[in-house]
Amino acid sequence: MRTFAVLFQKELRESWRSFKFLWMPLLFIFLGISDPIMNYYMEDILNAVGNLPEGFTITLPDYAPADILLASTGQFQSIGLIVLVVIAAGMINRERQNGTALFIYVRPISFAALYFSKWAVINLLAVLSVILGYGASMYYTAILYGTVEPLLFIQMVASYCVWILFATTIALMFSAMFKTALSITFTVIVLPIGVLVQSLIGQFWNVSPWKLADYSVQLLTQSENEYYLKTLLLTIICTVIFILIGILFTRKNASSVKV
Amino acid sequence: MITVQHLTKNFGAQTVVSDVSFTLEDGSFTALIGPNGAGKTTILSMLAGLLKPTGGSVKMEGIKDIRKEIGFLPQYPQFYPWLTGVEFIELTAKLSGISARGARKEAEKVLEFVGLKDAIHKKTAQYSGGMKQRLGIAQAIVHKPKLLLLDEPVSSLDPVGRREIMNLLKQLQRGSTILYSTHILNDAEEMTDQLLFLKKGKVVEKGSLNEIREKFDVPRIRIQFAGVEEAAGYSSQTEWPTEVEGNVVYVYIKDHFPTMQQVMGELSNSPFTVVKVERDRLSLEEIFMKVVSP
Repeated sequence: MRTFAVLFQKELRESWRSFKFLWMPLLFIFLGISDPIMNYYMEDILNAVGNLPEGFTITLPDYAPADILLASTGQFQSIGLIVLVVIAAGMINRERQNGTALFIYVRPISFAALYFSKWAVINLLAVLSVILGYGASMYYTAILYGTVEPLLFIQMVASYCVWILFATTIALMFSAMFKTALSITFTVIVLPIGVLVQSLIGQFWNVSPWKLADYSVQLLTQSENEYYLKTLLLTIICTVIFILIGILFTRKNASSVKV
Repeated sequence: MITVQHLTKNFGAQTVVSDVSFTLEDGSFTALIGPNGAGKTTILSMLAGLLKPTGGSVKMEGIKDIRKEIGFLPQYPQFYPWLTGVEFIELTAKLSGISARGARKEAEKVLEFVGLKDAIHKKTAQYSGGMKQRLGIAQAIVHKPKLLLLDEPVSSLDPVGRREIMNLLKQLQRGSTILYSTHILNDAEEMTDQLLFLKKGKVVEKGSLNEIREKFDVPRIRIQFAGVEEAAGYSSQTEWPTEVEGNVVYVYIKDHFPTMQQVMGELSNSPFTVVKVERDRLSLEEIFMKVVSP
């Protein structure tokens, strides 16, 4: 426990000094506000740009607040997610590769504490960014389109955070498993490309952690989704399993640290 | 006392360390000597608990978790560039079990000891090579370990830095047992109780410097003449077994004969101009070459 506290402070310090706690939330806030504002002013933007042929009219759909939040989720799922998991995918093996981890590995530490110090910091960063991102999106959506049920909104954000925890856990597991930057390749294949595959052929199955983000937003509109709870549960179970595998490989691959 | 028995390490089919055994007395200073690739770093890594041995054991009298009693300095220490010197030492001290309050004090103390007092609040990214080596030593000794493992502690430094680090280690030796690897033999010659010569993962020779010297010394007298012809002339004339190398003649001593006096007497009666006569001794470097070369 003491080792965890010391290492957690070290990880926090690293993220703080590299300004991750500044630019990661800013990225999510930016992604969060872009959709409500862009969509609201789309007509004005098109008129201002001109170039439309005479008599050409576009009818933009009337968006409901839930539609805007769904669009914001799409932003988080593509750009935000990639940035987040790529950072997580380098957390363990980069230190081993450049040799800085050596001074920690030769000391009487538990590798579970080492793993959790990294897991805690990346997820603190992730959850903070997601909450601020959704908060910003909701703020402008509320001003421009109207509000949603606050309790449902909170439930949706919490549910999305479970997905994000799952994603960073996978990235961290790959980071512990692979000795090189291969971890980033695998992470990108499994997560952002997984999301892509999900959106293309996802109609063939109903329960999968990759569906959790979509189901989270649907909480706002659909009253009952029989697969939601199953998906949530499966995601949590998978996260726990991947945490255990991550700890195992953190210990097993400790000897690959550059001496 | 630390006992290493039959230590072996294979990487796949390749045997990097093979059946290495030695003991380190408390407070002793031992050098691992060997050419590149002899397995020095692998042995140190196994002692530090970073690598699991394929076979054999490392035992420290009366201690279970050996990681608590070890300080380790790698050959090329890499530090977190975003930490200051004192923050880094504080972190390592805490991880070694020093209380949060004591860690800061110990860190400042040890940084002063290694001569980094003025740089403790600088980021380690700004440290020079010599300063990094000192910082590396500081993290290795901050928790006062019983065994200090140093991998090439001075090889990357200039002569001045080398001297300073060796002096630091001398001061340290009163407290800890030190095992260090090197290929710079002058360092080893100076202050080592025990030498372990490694070759292709095996200990090929061990003992104190004097013991090894006696073993490998070929007793001979070296005579330097003014010219090549004179050397050849003396060599053909004398009754002792000799070997000629340019203007130098080696006279081999067998069963204490010839003595220095006998050779000098002979020389003073000869017409050749002598520049220098001495009892020849092998330097550590020559012994090293003898021991490790095939």
